[in-house]
Order: sequence, then C-alpha cells, then structure tokens
Amino acid sequence: MNEAENKKTAKILNEKTIEQNFLSSRDYKYGFVTDIETDRIPEGLNENVIRLISEKKKEPSWMCEWRLKAYRHWLTMAEPHWPNFEYGPIDYQAISYYNAPKKAPKHKSLNDVDPELLKTFDKLGIPLTEQKRLSGVAVDAVFDSVSVGTTHQSELEKVGIIFCSMSEAIRSHPELVKKYLGSVVPYSDNFFAALNAAVFSDGSFCYIPRGVRSPLELSTYFRINAADSGQFERTLIVAEDNSFVSYLEGCTAPTRDENQLHAAVVELIAMDHAEIKYSTVQNWYSGDKEGKGGIYNFVTKRGKCAGAHSKISWTQVEAGAAITWKYPSCILQGDHSIGEFYSVALTNHRMQADTGTKMIHIGKNTRSTIVSKGISTDESNNNYRGLVKIMPTADRARNYSQCDSMLVGNKCRANTFPYIEVKNNSAVLEHEASTSKINADQIFYLLSRGLDMEGAVSLIINGFCKEVFKELPMEFAVEAVKLLEMKLEGSVG
Amino acid sequence: MFQTHGIPTVKNEEWKYTSLEPLEKNIFELVKDNKLADRSALFEYCNPQEINIVFVNGIFSADLSNLKNIPSGIIHCPLQEAVAKDLPKIKEFLTKYDPSQKTPFAALNEALNSDGLYIRADQNTACKELIHIVHVTSASRRNSASMPRTLMVLEKSSEATVLESHLSFDDKAVYFANALTDIFLDENATLHYCKSQKESQNAFHIGQTRVWQERNSNFDGFSFMAGGALTRNDLDVVINGEGASANLNALYNMSTTQHVDNHTSVDHRVPNGTSNQLYKGILNQAARGVFNGKIFVRPVAQKTNSYQLNKNLLLGKDCRVDTKPQLEIFADDVKCTHGATIGQLDEDQMFYLQTRCIPSKIARRMLAQGFVDDLFSKIKNESIHHKLDKLVQPSFQALE
Repeated sequence: MNEAENKKTAKILNEKTIEQNFLSSRDYKYGFVTDIETDRIPEGLNENVIRLISEKKKEPSWMCEWRLKAYRHWLTMAEPHWPNFEYGPIDYQAISYYNAPKKAPKHKSLNDVDPELLKTFDKLGIPLTEQKRLSGVAVDAVFDSVSVGTTHQSELEKVGIIFCSMSEAIRSHPELVKKYLGSVVPYSDNFFAALNAAVFSDGSFCYIPRGVRSPLELSTYFRINAADSGQFERTLIVAEDNSFVSYLEGCTAPTRDENQLHAAVVELIAMDHAEIKYSTVQNWYSGDKEGKGGIYNFVTKRGKCAGAHSKISWTQVEAGAAITWKYPSCILQGDHSIGEFYSVALTNHRMQADTGTKMIHIGKNTRSTIVSKGISTDESNNNYRGLVKIMPTADRARNYSQCDSMLVGNKCRANTFPYIEVKNNSAVLEHEASTSKINADQIFYLLSRGLDMEGAVSLIINGFCKEVFKELPMEFAVEAVKLLEMKLEGSVG
Repeated sequence: MFQTHGIPTVKNEEWKYTSLEPLEKNIFELVKDNKLADRSALFEYCNPQEINIVFVNGIFSADLSNLKNIPSGIIHCPLQEAVAKDLPKIKEFLTKYDPSQKTPFAALNEALNSDGLYIRADQNTACKELIHIVHVTSASRRNSASMPRTLMVLEKSSEATVLESHLSFDDKAVYFANALTDIFLDENATLHYCKSQKESQNAFHIGQTRVWQERNSNFDGFSFMAGGALTRNDLDVVINGEGASANLNALYNMSTTQHVDNHTSVDHRVPNGTSNQLYKGILNQAARGVFNGKIFVRPVAQKTNSYQLNKNLLLGKDCRVDTKPQLEIFADDVKCTHGATIGQLDEDQMFYLQTRCIPSKIARRMLAQGFVDDLFSKIKNESIHHKLDKLVQPSFQALE
C-alpha cells in the first residue's frame, strides 16, 4: 500500500469521526433557540409578581385572589424529597415566571402571528399556518408563558366545543373555569401544584358539550424558549355526558446548561358515559451525557371519572427531561367507570424518571388497567411507582397492572415500587412486574438475519413497547417510534 | 439505639401500614420465671421424643426440653456463654451487620435479652433430626415481655432442619414477644428453617430473622403466621456468596381483627444468586394483611435470578390488604419478576364442587385447603408439615 492510499484511508476515517461527532451532537434535534423579543418579568417570586402576572393577562379579580391564596399556601409547604432520585436545590427566586413573545399580544387570526414564531413551530414539525396545518388535528401552541395560536377553532365552534388557551377561557368562559378549575387538583394538593396554581401563565382549556364526539384530535404543543424561566401551564378538559375527546400533548425545549423547571397541572373531568383519551409525547431537553442541563419535569396530572360509565385513558411516551416526576392518576368515582394508563418511559445519559400512576377506586364495578414499560440505558435511573387503592365502597373493583423494565447497558438502574391497598374484599387485582436485559437470543436471531445491532435493538424495543404505542393516535405512534429510535442511537453496543 | 429512635410511627416507610399505637398503650415488663402450668398442651404440640429446646417467657427450661438425641456434630449452648468463651466466629458474626441499618426492635432485643441460644453445626455434619426451638409464653403473668434470641451457625457443607415456634396456650394473654434470629450459612451449608407463630390472640409479636449466605449455600425458609393481635415478621437475606440460593415461603392465616405485616428483603450482593419467594395469605373477617417484599440487586450481581409472588385470598367482609413488592435493580444481566394477586375463591370452582353435591361450606374448605397445600408441599420435613397442618385446620373448620 503506498502513502497516498494511506492518506486516503486516514481521510475517510477522519470524515467518519467527524460524521459521528456531528451525529452525536445532533442527538437532540429540537435544541435550537429562537431569537425573539420577549416581554419578561424579572426573576423572583412574591405577591407583586403574581399580581403582575394576573394583570398582564387581564384576569378578573377572583382569579387573582385564587392565585394569591395558592401562593400563601405554597409558602407554608416544604419541597418534597421522597422520590428515588437526586437533584440540586431549586432556587425559586431565580426563575422568571412570565415570558411572552412581544409581538404577539392577541391575534385575530394566525396570519398576524410573528413569522419568527411560526418558523419555530414549523421547525418543530407543527405548522400553524392555514395551508400547512395538520389535517384533522387542532393545535394550541404554547410558547414559553403564552399561547400563540389555536388552529381549527371555527370548525370546533360549529359543534359547540370550546378549545382555547386558558387565559382566553378565563376571560370568555369564567363560569366554566370557576366551576372546574382546581376541582380535581386543588391548589393545596402538593408543593408543585400550589406553585403552579399561583403562577400558571397559560395552558389549554377544552370543553366538550353533552353528546358531542370531537371531530378532530385536539392538541397542545409546549415549547420552552427563554432562559432562566420556568413553564407553568395548566390544562383543563371537561367532557360532558356522552361526549368523547382525544387530546395530545407534545413538548420540547432548547439545549441549555442550566436546569429549567416545568411544573404543570392537568385536570380532566369526565361525566356520565364520557370518554377522555389523553396522550403525551414528552421530549424536553434531557441534558447532555454528563447530566448537565435539562428540564425538571414535575407535573401533577389527574383525571376524575365523575360520572357513571365514564372513561379516562392516559397514554404517555416519556423520552425527555433530565428528571421526570409525574403520576397521571384516575379517580374512579362513578360506578362502572374505567381508568387506563399506558406508559413508555425511556431514559438515557443521566436522566432520572420516577413515574407511574394512581388508580383510586371509589365507585362500584370500577375497572383499571396499567401497562408500564421502562427502558433504561447508559447511566440513567428509571423508576415505576404506582398506587392501586380500592376503597371500601368500591364493590367488585378490578385491576390489572403490568410493569416491565428493560435494561440496556450495565450502569443503568431500574426500580419498581408498586403500592396496592385493598379495603374491599370483593376486589380482584393482579399485578406483575419483570426486569430483564434485552434477550440475547433475540438479538442473535436478528443479527443472523442481516440486521445491524442498532436495527435489532430498536426492533426488539419496538416490540416491547407495542402494547403502549397501539394506544396512541396514528400520527403520534409513528412519531413516538422515531423518537425512541433517535434516543437509542449510540447507547447500544 | 432503641432509646434514640423509639418506636417507629406510620410516617416511617417501613412501618407505613402498621401502626404500633396499640403496642405503645401497654406497659410490659420482663419476667424471670419459667414455669409453665399446662405441660400437656405443650407436649401435644411438640413431640417430647424429638429434640426440643424449650424457653418459657424467654428463659430456658431444662425441665421441658429434650436434648438427649442431639447428634455429636451439633453444639448448643446459651448465647451469653458462647460470647463469654469467645467461640470461633461469634465475634465476626455479631459485627457483620451495619449498626446504622439495625431496626429499633433488634436493638431492643440485643439490649434486653438475657438467655439466648447458640447452635452450631460442625463441618460436614448432616443432622437429619428436627431441632425444635420452642418459645412459649405462660399466662401466669400479665403484660410480660420476652426477647427470644437465637444464633445459628452452619459450618461448611453441613445440613440441619430447624423449627422455631412461638406460641401460647392462652388466647387471652396480653404480652409482647420481640424475637431476633441470626443465621449464618457457610459454603455449601443447607438449612431448612421454619418459623411458626401461633401467639395468643391478644399478643404482640415482632420478629426478625437475618440470614447471611456464603457460596453455594441453600436457605430453605418457611414462615407460618397465625396468631397474635399484631404481628410483624421480617426476613432479611443477604446473598454474599456466588451460587447461593434462598427460598422464602410463607403462609399467613388471620381472622377477627388480627394484623399481620410481613417484610422480606433479599440483597443480592454477588453474581449468580437465586432467590424465590412465595407469600400466601388468607384473611378472614376483619383481618388485615401487609406484605412488603424487597429485592435488591447490586451493580456487581450479574446473572441474578429472583422471583417474588404474593397471593392473597380475601374471605372476610371487612378484611384489608396492602401489598408493596419492590424491585431495586442496579445490574443489567438479571431476571427479576414479581407479582401480586388479590382475589376471592373462584366462583366457577365453587359451582363445580356444588354440582358434585358438595355443600358450599365444605367446598370452601376444600378450596382454601388447596390454596394452602401447594405451599405446604414445599416443606420437606414431615414432622413440621404435620405440626403446621394441625395449627391451620381449626381455622378451616371455622369457615362459613
């Protein structure tokens, strides 16, 4: 081999490494920052800040009072530290609690929205402009603290569905907001719920009237952009008798070295024979390989099956955030009501997740299903924590839980903490959990069929999560599969 | 230690479902007399021909014990004497556990125990006979407290079968038994261990058994809990040698307002360990059952296989179950599963039996018996099997 050839190979090798480096830095493709002028409240939290937020949003006085009540309660609470993960102290005074893009105070139509913003959402794959909109999905896009636009509103109005941002709802439908806000997650519920109640800036509100099946999938897309800020949004969905709605939620944030706090509250209320399907694909920035930066995702999600034969179904794909700490729960109050929870939680690098569900059976003949799949890779820590509680009134309650964990790599951790409390002797419960490594025989088989290692692992993980993915709406299921593949890149081998 | 920590409250995660308030309401005192009024009841339970080591109110009774048939390789003496003589390995063993991890009740036992038992099986001894350790509380004194303490050391390649019974023949007696048993299994040693608890209906029983396993040792454990107003039974196994295996099986059978709290912890510290747990419970009337099973797999403990299953049969109207199986896994090449079920007698099975002209009362009994039988079949020693069966039968007869 002559020298020239040697050089050539070296060059090719060099190119390869460059490509690899390039690829690895591309791990998180939503990590860009949009440079946009913002209206921002300086860091810090006190009663004046809360009044200012309320004022900026032109809220009625009862809303401001409610916020202050929550804030005063929050002051009496201590930050909880029981979950199975570690994080540094959070300085609540160093967070800016309100960040809104300046050019977007209120839009008559989406055409008035700052083109820079539209570009951002285009880049995220969420086109908001009329021509390009996802057909069949109505989107409410939340950028930092405010909603920048809601699509398909007129179509929804025709069937009587109210779908708008929370601030708009407080102004235009105060009676509904007043009646339901905080009825499932009261401000006194927990530390982060109280904080959220005090400073929440926006979110989505959705009201499905009696007997209406939502013709569209409703969805909210959350984007954190500003630095040193937190996102505190509140979502409220009310489904009246015999209605049905399917709701999606997606999240991303830029790549930053500091940790940012996201403390949201989601409340669902289902009346007689109503059904709410709530799906989340969460892909906040998760920090780099050394665990620097990323979003703290401390969320309170709870649904109440208030009516008989109602149904609430949670589906979540948790693939981002430095720390995920959330337990979407169902209070099964109505007789014959059904609660479901399907979850895939993937952790890589140094991500930590403590997630699961709570099923509180109160009504007779209530049923719940829990399917949770955890995949941990690299040096991450993935926990399942769930509670199934059968109250003495819940005759003939039925629960089936399954939580499986898969370990990829030898530095990761997977733990399960299921709590089962039964106070009624007619209950039937089954719970199973397993933890194992990816099956070597399956990998060998796929490799022998000509797949490469990554393809094989991704195929096996896909199969492992299939039960959950099939619960997601079509477009999201495809997205979720891609997301997992992207996350697993580089962690296999 | 006990003084600084005091009695744990429900705020403590380990005691989440068991409130010790009723225990705190009573004042107990240690008693010094080891007289038992009713000898015949005792001998009906334990065969006087077998090896019996009997303690009354926590104090050894030479009179009631039968030590004649103890084979030559087995050494037994009071624990205090063994410590005083500094017999080999005693010191090493007593300092094995991290003192900060100690439970307040283990500390209390160590502080107050005056008459412990030390048993050692020499290298290569295989003791076929059952060694029956009986802790009986007499009804003569009210509010007595006893602190039974046992240390068993099985040297390399030895084998033994031990039954540890805690009982009382007076269901009205109120007392507090705080037992602590330590088991050390050296390489290749095998121990068949059964703890049977049939304390008085008004008694408090808090027990902890700690097992330390070296390479290729086998621990075959069974816990039977049927008595006591409030029972807490901890079984903690440390797998510290490759290839060691542990079986933890248990049956708890409770009625009236009894409360039983079973905790297990299996700590896999080395690779290639195996552990199996099967805990079954039958709850009648307003009884309450708690199960908390932990499996830890340390980062080095690759190729660990660990299974855990908790099954509960709810027969009573007001009974209650809280179960919390827990897996904490830090290694990747492992197979761990756990499961929990809670249910009633199968209606189809009841229907089938009734179509075969079996009255519902007997059908119930048969199904409950069936629920128990696959557990009992795991007990290898016939004498233990027989004794437990005798203890469980009356509760089946009472089934409505």
